[in-house]
Amino acid sequence: MIEVSNIRKEFRTPVVKQGRFSGLRTLFTREYRLKEAVRGISFQVEEGEFVGYIGPNGAGKSTTIKMLTGILHPTSGHVSIGGLSPHKARREVVRNLGVVFGQRSQLWWDLPVIDSFDILARMYGVRETEKVKRMRQFAELLDLESFWATPVRKLSLGQRMRADLAAAMLHDPDVLFLDEPTIGLDVNAKRNIRQFLKRLNTEFGKTILLTTHDMDDIEQLCRRVMVINDGQLSYDGTVRSLRDTIGLPTVITVTYRGAFHIPEGYRISKEASEPELPIRLNIIAVEDHTVTIEVNRKEIHTLDILNLLAQWGELADVDMQDPDFEDVIHKVY
Amino acid sequence: MTMRSWISLYALLIRTSIRSRMQYKFNFLLGTLLAALIQISEFLMVAIVLYKFGAIQGWSMHEIGYLFAVMTLSKTIYRMFADEVHHLEKYLVNGELDQLLTRPMPVLLALLPQKFRLMPGEILQGGFLLWWSLDGMMADGQISWVAVPYTLLIIGTGAVILFSIGLATATCGFWMTRITVLQNLTEDAARSAAQYPLTLYPKWMISLLLFAIPVGLVNYVPALYILRGELGGWILPLLAVAALFCLLLSVRFWQYGITKYQSTGS
Repeated sequence: MIEVSNIRKEFRTPVVKQGRFSGLRTLFTREYRLKEAVRGISFQVEEGEFVGYIGPNGAGKSTTIKMLTGILHPTSGHVSIGGLSPHKARREVVRNLGVVFGQRSQLWWDLPVIDSFDILARMYGVRETEKVKRMRQFAELLDLESFWATPVRKLSLGQRMRADLAAAMLHDPDVLFLDEPTIGLDVNAKRNIRQFLKRLNTEFGKTILLTTHDMDDIEQLCRRVMVINDGQLSYDGTVRSLRDTIGLPTVITVTYRGAFHIPEGYRISKEASEPELPIRLNIIAVEDHTVTIEVNRKEIHTLDILNLLAQWGELADVDMQDPDFEDVIHKVY
Repeated sequence: MTMRSWISLYALLIRTSIRSRMQYKFNFLLGTLLAALIQISEFLMVAIVLYKFGAIQGWSMHEIGYLFAVMTLSKTIYRMFADEVHHLEKYLVNGELDQLLTRPMPVLLALLPQKFRLMPGEILQGGFLLWWSLDGMMADGQISWVAVPYTLLIIGTGAVILFSIGLATATCGFWMTRITVLQNLTEDAARSAAQYPLTLYPKWMISLLLFAIPVGLVNYVPALYILRGELGGWILPLLAVAALFCLLLSVRFWQYGITKYQSTGS
């Protein structure tokens, strides 16, 4: 559905001079600073996939999305969406795209929400019956009815985002690009939008590419995630294996009933214990009756660890915490 | 899409733009009124010039009034339909062009109806001045009624030429981002210069205003034929061709410029 091969984007900005007549000298300068926002990215997205696209600020996420939607032209490389290039056949490609930029609305700011839908329907040539049918559907799924008649500028952020999302789907596109659709929203609004996106993907088979800084979006919606860092893809695979590859330690806290004894060789430190020991683990803290350890569950079976811990004393309670997804991402960045 | 549905979409977008601005009625009405007042004051200045100097270098009061009126009306048509081309900088600086690029229509067709400007002041001023000069010249027997349809034609071709100049200038914004100063030069200064007979200026400047920034083709060149019978009848079709050529050139340039659009970070 989406094919991206080796796209690059350079931005050229004139070097701003310092000192006297700096403005004038900047005007006539031939010095440019090249900034490579995207440096050779390739990937493919199959029909019906839900892909998360993440990376720190300034990594090139938005630039990539803008190249995919035909807004920016890549310095080199090719993009093809449904077999067409968004740069050579922008109008045809865009007809089959839904695009939502969380930071910006595509609705008519001063007019009632419903008017924007009428205009968009005309623009995309959506038939009246289709339009009515879809709007009824969206109104129900996204709870739009209460603010149909409100001017867009008076909507709350959550309402606006819902309206924007519905507007992007009005012409029933197969592919949806979402650039930070949950930015700045409260928990309820986020949940509402996630449910809608999930249905679009599972029930209607839409192909969705989403950028976000909210890792819950990724965890709840995407099976596949791509990480961009400094203009290059640093990871492309399932959310699950991303967690595994990073190999963040699982934190286990055990409480002993009565006394316990930690054998020689296991030290309380930030470093993992010495390699000749049967199990590599890392004791972070020992307090009264509790011991907190870190261990990589990819290397060691959980039961083995529990067995080992049971040898040290009589177990009263065990608490295990898998690494937080936010932490996983932090590690990738 | 057929031509007809494009036109009806375009009309819908213009209606939308007017309706959007009607949301702020006071601002809209006051703005329109003030613009009209400014036009009247500008007109008074022209009237003083005409009255004081009468003829300039063999051009009569009526002829100069004619040049002025044609330029004003051509500019008014250009600005009524394509004001946003003149204000493209805003879209480039804020990255607002992004939204227009995700719509399934030519970017220009999406951009132009963003803001349809009503300019009653300009129309009144230009219309009155045109009527006054034509009426005066007809009374002298200098021209006949044929001048009226000819004049309407060249106001149209003039609007196309001014639009082309405006579009080409705006396109430079894809490289420069800020274009106000350039616009002052190619649009405002050039147009003001051509409000008076070009014979006032040195040779190099006449060539500049005829070939590089062809504002002279809007009023001066057609006036030579329509008012004074110089050149020949072939000049009118030639002007139409020239206007279309300018339009084609600038649209091509625009289409190339769009591929250099940089958007903004977000």
